Amino acid sequence: MPEELEDLVRIVEVEPIKEGVIIIEGFPDVGLVGTIAASFLTDKLQMKEVGYVESDVLPPIISVKNGKVLDLIRLYGGDNIVVILSEIPIPLPMVRPLSQKIIEWAISKKAKMIVSLTGMPEPGRLNIDVPKVYVLGSNDKISQDALRIDGVEAFTDGYITGVKGMILRESIRKDFNALLILSQAHFNYPDPGSAAEILKYLSKLLSISIDIKPLLESAEELKLRLRDLMRRTSQAMQDVQKSRELELPAVYL
Amino acid sequence: MAYRRTLWKIMLDEFKRIEQELRNLEEEFYMRIKGLEAMRGCITPLHNVYESGDELIITADMPGTDKEEIDLTVGEDYLKIEAPCRSPARKIREGKYMLHVRLPVEIEPETVRARYKDGVLEVIAKKKIRGIKIKVE
Repeated sequence: MPEELEDLVRIVEVEPIKEGVIIIEGFPDVGLVGTIAASFLTDKLQMKEVGYVESDVLPPIISVKNGKVLDLIRLYGGDNIVVILSEIPIPLPMVRPLSQKIIEWAISKKAKMIVSLTGMPEPGRLNIDVPKVYVLGSNDKISQDALRIDGVEAFTDGYITGVKGMILRESIRKDFNALLILSQAHFNYPDPGSAAEILKYLSKLLSISIDIKPLLESAEELKLRLRDLMRRTSQAMQDVQKSRELELPAVYL
Repeated sequence: MAYRRTLWKIMLDEFKRIEQELRNLEEEFYMRIKGLEAMRGCITPLHNVYESGDELIITADMPGTDKEEIDLTVGEDYLKIEAPCRSPARKIREGKYMLHVRLPVEIEPETVRARYKDGVLEVIAKKKIRGIKIKVE
């Protein structure tokens, strides 16, 4: 890794993170699906803060919750899972360095896999009661394993922009296991319904029990609370040309 | 060579200046929205306006209201939405959604239909089409 990249993004562990974990990231994105799913998971599995991401590219902001000062991008640890959560959309200059750093760090921790959770923009979302879930792995084995679970489809054609795309690309280059899980979602409205579908799938994939009922019950409250983050994320999605995810690749081969 | 480097630096500085100005504008936009909401005690819902063929579609994310309570007014070139917003979980006082959108094209108000589903209001209107039909030969 170039020295400047090392300086640009740093992953700081405040508590020892064991080797062989599964890393789940839920950076703000389409419908905040990944953020909603990952933070719900963190809460339900009673995970505790084990680290944070530091970077000069991040805006000079701290978050305060119940009198406790928090970093904007935090790592939460549970039994065999580490979740990366962010309270802000990732600034464009940080997208590549952060993705590279996360994979570099995941490899150093001998992590089993990184799972990215995200929404797939669906213009007709209002007509869909149960959003479809799609998967894309960094290699055939990961994809095949992910497709063994009923009701999930392979993501075959399209664009993936932003951190999720870069994490997948970096994983392929470094021969690391990565899985992208997408669920049909509103493009720029918070979509807890879509996040619930991802969590249903994730619980089967990782064999963990997640009761999504509380998430669906608080969906309206959540949508209200996430309005400002969604507004800022919409702007950040423009920076990474997120609307391309509504398009199909233009070349034949 | 030195000239090229200087030119390159000037261009880079200019790009950075433009980028900073855009960020300032963006921040001003957020400040304005939040300031307005605080001043008027109302919420500006997230919304989208887009054209699809001969229709104009407006959606607004308005969780915590009832369809019976949504006050929707449309004119040929504007749309106005008002609705109460309740947040029982946080026990905050009742807020109010307010949205006034100037439409990008004129519509026929009598064609407007609306539905409210999963906290999202969708309004669909036929665009007003002016002109004469031309036969293609």
